[in-house]
Amino acid sequence: MKNIKRYGAAASMLAVAAGTATPASAAGTTAGTTITNNVTVSYQVGGVSQTNLSTSTAFTVDRRVNFTVAEEGNATTQVSPGQAAAVTSFIVTNTSNAPLDFALAVTNRSGGTAAHGGTDNFDLTNLRMFADTNGNGIYNPGVDLQITYLDQIAADASARVFVVVDIPLGRATNDVAGVRLTGTAAEATAVGSLGAVVTQTAGANTAGIDTVFADTTADGNTARDGIHFDEDDYTVLAAALTATKTSRIVSDPLNGTSNPKMIPGAVVEYCISAANAAGGATATNVGISDTLPATTTYEPTFGVLVNGTMTGSTCNADGAIAGAHASGVVSGTIPSVTAGDVRTVLFRVTIN
Amino acid sequence: MKLLLILLAFFLPSAALAQDQVALTSEVFVERTTTDANGASRVSLEPPGVVTPGDRLVFVLTYRNNGASPAADFAVTNPIPESVVFAGTESAGAVYSVDGGRTWGALAALTIPAADGTSRAATLADVTHVRWRFAQAIPPGNGGQLRFRGTVK
Repeated sequence: MKNIKRYGAAASMLAVAAGTATPASAAGTTAGTTITNNVTVSYQVGGVSQTNLSTSTAFTVDRRVNFTVAEEGNATTQVSPGQAAAVTSFIVTNTSNAPLDFALAVTNRSGGTAAHGGTDNFDLTNLRMFADTNGNGIYNPGVDLQITYLDQIAADASARVFVVVDIPLGRATNDVAGVRLTGTAAEATAVGSLGAVVTQTAGANTAGIDTVFADTTADGNTARDGIHFDEDDYTVLAAALTATKTSRIVSDPLNGTSNPKMIPGAVVEYCISAANAAGGATATNVGISDTLPATTTYEPTFGVLVNGTMTGSTCNADGAIAGAHASGVVSGTIPSVTAGDVRTVLFRVTIN
Repeated sequence: MKLLLILLAFFLPSAALAQDQVALTSEVFVERTTTDANGASRVSLEPPGVVTPGDRLVFVLTYRNNGASPAADFAVTNPIPESVVFAGTESAGAVYSVDGGRTWGALAALTIPAADGTSRAATLADVTHVRWRFAQAIPPGNGGQLRFRGTVK
């Protein structure tokens, strides 16, 4: 604090004060700003106006380091087992009254209740962070650049960080993996490089700009440590497929289609059904292959009917001829089986 | 301007100081609320050491008539510093300006024009200047204190 006594006209003091206004902002007055209070006395002695007397006092606004890391949106991200590059996004907002860099780290949650209520029961792989380089709010592979820190975030400014992970294979529907993005306040010393981690000014106030941590306990954070994190999670939606093979005798050479028997020359129809359990994800490109019994011969005039339906336990012959037969193996690919649905591959053989 | 005024003070010592029969000091304190071990909160005024946005300030103006004659038509004018939002005064008799010192009045009598031609009642946060004008002359040897509050933007 300094006290300056000065002598001058009150009119000039007013001119200085008029027309100066700092725009209101969440971050507040920039660190290092000097706040000067000027006061003026006017008076008369013996009916004569005396020279105005002015005095002022000034102090420096210190640096309040505060920022938030917040998940963007408020819902889990649905993923498939084995999915590569599953994306969640976070917003880092600098509410300090000075520009800062932020060191970033992304980690797996270790058990417990994840951000959106499920129980964390597996870990993600290949955790990476990307900037929203083109600023469109969507992760664009090859365009958005991988980062480990945020550079030069101005007071009141924010930046989006994409967390991109891979989902392991073999996870079941409603498996949950939590992920945490942690930001650490760092000095915005130079453009293009991460500055030193910010430390609070220890001990007594200094004449220069002191640093005070002001980050809060929101989302389970520790208050006033210059570190803030938030969590999001991924929930698996898997397809649970069950394959079933059934057969029926269509005809035999003696009885025809009337009560046919399993004798040489009889025609047998095989139905392989792929059922997808309710509540899961749609399974696509479901490949079916079946090796024929040695004592049978593939019936080429019937073909392989793919993507047929079932009525109860009966396979309908309503698939399209899309499968193949080669070297005693029948194969077909069902384009998609939605949750709760069943689709079939149907073909016929003759008993040798 | 500051340098010029200081130089003027050097070059006109006899004339200026002869008239300087009034003493005036301005101080600023930061109001801190601390909670003690028993959970009771305690408010203290501290020198403006570590000051960050949102801190509450108390400005204390001390005046005294050191001369031999009464100081009449005594007025203390304090523009609210940039980066400070005015938060009221406990010292009676204040008048306010919300337009940079052009017009003055009780806060309830002041309005802020809006862009669409209408106006609204002024609030504490609109105050640009505060002034105390004393009806009575300050007798020799007498003085007092004025206080007002503000918040760091």
